[in-house]
Amino acid sequence: MTWGLGEGVYEVFARKNRGEPLRHIGYIDAPGDELARVYAWKTYDEENWFEMCVVPRRAVIPVNRLEGPWARNLPEGTE
Amino acid sequence: MTGGGRPGSPSGDGDPGASREATSPGPLSRHILSLADTKRLLGIRYSDWLLGSPSIETGIAASSMAQDEWGHARLLYAMLKRLGFDPFEVEHTRPADRYYSASALDHPFGDWADFIAAVVVVDGALSVALESFSGGNFTLARSRVPKMLAEEEYHRQFGTAWFARLASAGGEGAARLNVAARAVLPSTLAWLLPGDDVYDELVADGRVLPGEQVRERIRIRLGDTLGAAGIALDEIEPDRAGWDPERRRGPGAPGEEAVERARGDRNRDLFVE
Repeated sequence: MTWGLGEGVYEVFARKNRGEPLRHIGYIDAPGDELARVYAWKTYDEENWFEMCVVPRRAVIPVNRLEGPWARNLPEGTE
Repeated sequence: MTGGGRPGSPSGDGDPGASREATSPGPLSRHILSLADTKRLLGIRYSDWLLGSPSIETGIAASSMAQDEWGHARLLYAMLKRLGFDPFEVEHTRPADRYYSASALDHPFGDWADFIAAVVVVDGALSVALESFSGGNFTLARSRVPKMLAEEEYHRQFGTAWFARLASAGGEGAARLNVAARAVLPSTLAWLLPGDDVYDELVADGRVLPGEQVRERIRIRLGDTLGAAGIALDEIEPDRAGWDPERRRGPGAPGEEAVERARGDRNRDLFVE
């Protein structure tokens, strides 16, 4: 999944404190994993996060809804 | 610039080499001024690319890095108070030819290749210099610099990833990157490794690492990254032509427009202490 600058979409998850669930806080466009980490940290820096993670959108596989933004990631043959 | 005295302190944090005439900073003051001014100018050059960088995320990263550099500069200027300087005067009253910043930052970046070359080479050299400083015996550096270095880690990742991306793309972008990196390397290596009596005094006083250890650190930090662009760091000679030992740099000065921004001239009447 690339456009223009060869960038992909990464979903950003974070939590403020140990023990809290990771929650989705936004997304960024980045051309690779390393820059995705930097862009996420620099873009969503309004909180003093305990932990932040990025996930390539192409790695998100829908479970119960087969339409929507992640439908293209469904395994081949899924009905 | 006032100050330059030798207030001394029980912790040994004074600057014994400083001139009492208040015009020639001692070795430690020169070192801090050189670090702080370089960070301030680097922040200004980064800030020029908040808009116009290749993507929104890149512009946000540039903005954040500019803020980091300005914050670090402020902390470094504040250290000069311990050495008898008035940080306000240091930050807001000096003319361009009294700046101690690395000459690689005298002019704005012409394009994105210049920006990335500066992130890798100049920002990288700054981090190596700060590592060296935080490992010395100046207590303020030991306590304050590690947090700067932690923030700088994101600059390293940003620069390394972009450098590799441009270098591997080939074509005009890779060629421009090569030229841009080669343009800033000689003067930046001279800034990092002055090889002069003032630096030797800093080493003797235990403030910083010896030059050969600093050179090894910059080689480790930049060697592979630059190698991807076909640049062998060991073949680059520091350019010390016209060396000014007081300002720890070659001839010239940052552009007046940048210094006006660094001093905050336009908002002088709004300063609140």
